[in-house]
Amino acid sequence: MSFTGIFHFFTNSPCDAAEPWQLGSQDAATPMMQGIIDLHHDIFFFLILILVFVSRILVRALWHFHSKKNPIPQRIVHGTTIEILRTIFPSIIPMFIAIPSFALLYSMDEVVVDPAMTIKAIGHQWYRSYEYSDYNSSDEQSLTFDSYTIPEDDPELGQSRLLEVDNRVVVPAKTHLRIIVTSADVPHSWAVPSSGVKCDAVPGRLNQISISVQREGVYYGQCSEICGTNHASIVVEAVSRKDYGSRVSNQLIPQTGEA
Amino acid sequence: MAKIKCMVRPALHLTAPRDPPPPPPTAQQYLKSQYHLEKEQLNTASKPVEEVVVPDSATEAVKEAVTAEVEESSSTPESSETPDAASGESSETPVAASSDSSESPDAASGKSSETADASSEESSEAGESITAATEGSSEITEKDNVGEPEAEETPGIKLETAPADFRFPTTNQSRHCFTRYVEYHRCIAAKGEDAPECDKFAKYYRSLCPGEWVDRWNEQRENGTFPGPL
Repeated sequence: MSFTGIFHFFTNSPCDAAEPWQLGSQDAATPMMQGIIDLHHDIFFFLILILVFVSRILVRALWHFHSKKNPIPQRIVHGTTIEILRTIFPSIIPMFIAIPSFALLYSMDEVVVDPAMTIKAIGHQWYRSYEYSDYNSSDEQSLTFDSYTIPEDDPELGQSRLLEVDNRVVVPAKTHLRIIVTSADVPHSWAVPSSGVKCDAVPGRLNQISISVQREGVYYGQCSEICGTNHASIVVEAVSRKDYGSRVSNQLIPQTGEA
Repeated sequence: MAKIKCMVRPALHLTAPRDPPPPPPTAQQYLKSQYHLEKEQLNTASKPVEEVVVPDSATEAVKEAVTAEVEESSSTPESSETPDAASGESSETPVAASSDSSESPDAASGKSSETADASSEESSEAGESITAATEGSSEITEKDNVGEPEAEETPGIKLETAPADFRFPTTNQSRHCFTRYVEYHRCIAAKGEDAPECDKFAKYYRSLCPGEWVDRWNEQRENGTFPGPL
């Protein structure tokens, strides 16, 4: 176990984890996350426009109609033009926000192509087990391993506290993945911010998410459901397709042999 | 769906303008192709257009299979001998099949629809043999991997899993898994244990269902308390 940890540390440095005082999103690893970031920027354009406009009106009103400057209050109660304008414009702006938002929402939901592989992520209190069952030829034989968060007091040098796990999920990059998320006890969730995925793990139900990691790297996530004291971490390691084959055949099978 | 339409169109051009454009493959056709229903049913369909469409789509499928195979083999240069041999075999057969059926639309436009019929059967058979070959090769690689995990880097793992099913388009895939499990056991019941047609259903449900669920259902089947329609 510790050997694999050292191995991971020397091969990949954790660059897709949360940073202290981070304000923006993590770098996108999937087209989905890229879409989310773009939508965020789109919406922020309108947000700032509205913010500036509203605060200008507010400050202007406070300034010009202050009791000392303007002791006799105005008695205007109707203004047809301004009422039409302030009804129509606020109803158009949400449209500009809603259209890209729905487009993104439904494109994320849709499974466009047949996935190339299926990974089952099963939440437990408090670890995750992953099953790679595409290569099985019987019900008994299965490529299953558990993934525990490395405890607070013994991460290796350079590992992130309460973020690193002992066995990472190895996935091929640039491949359509189907991840079946479920739980064995209480509701958990499976979330990896840089892949733009957050999916509840509900016992007795299989939730499907499809992602396609575009670049090789190590991606960190955490359980996003209140599942108990030790929210388990999620670490996805994307490797090239060729490396994936050798990793699956060399690394994962001996580990399942131990377990 | 859009992909299938694109495949249908050239066949239309080749055949004749007399026939109305063929409908996109219906759910029934999809199910037929998926469940190995009798070939005769497909061939004796009333419209002659469909018959001509069948070989074309079959060849497309064959080509896709071949390209996939080629990609696999090109991405895995240091693979062991057996999968190479298997891929070599399978890459040889489809060439013949595609040439066969590429002739067929011409023949169909010139002569009767019987030739198209025959060629369609041929090409579909060829497709089946290829899939069988690929399955065989994947099994072989699997055995290799299990047998000698650290001997040499054999990236001979085939990236293949249960396809997206139009019956289960939602995020919730629980029924997808359950249905595949039931389908497998109904298939076994109908065609006997070790029927090769049932293997893919086994692959699908193993890909989709958590091992724990499968174990529980197996136990329930043994006890006769399985809640599904077996």
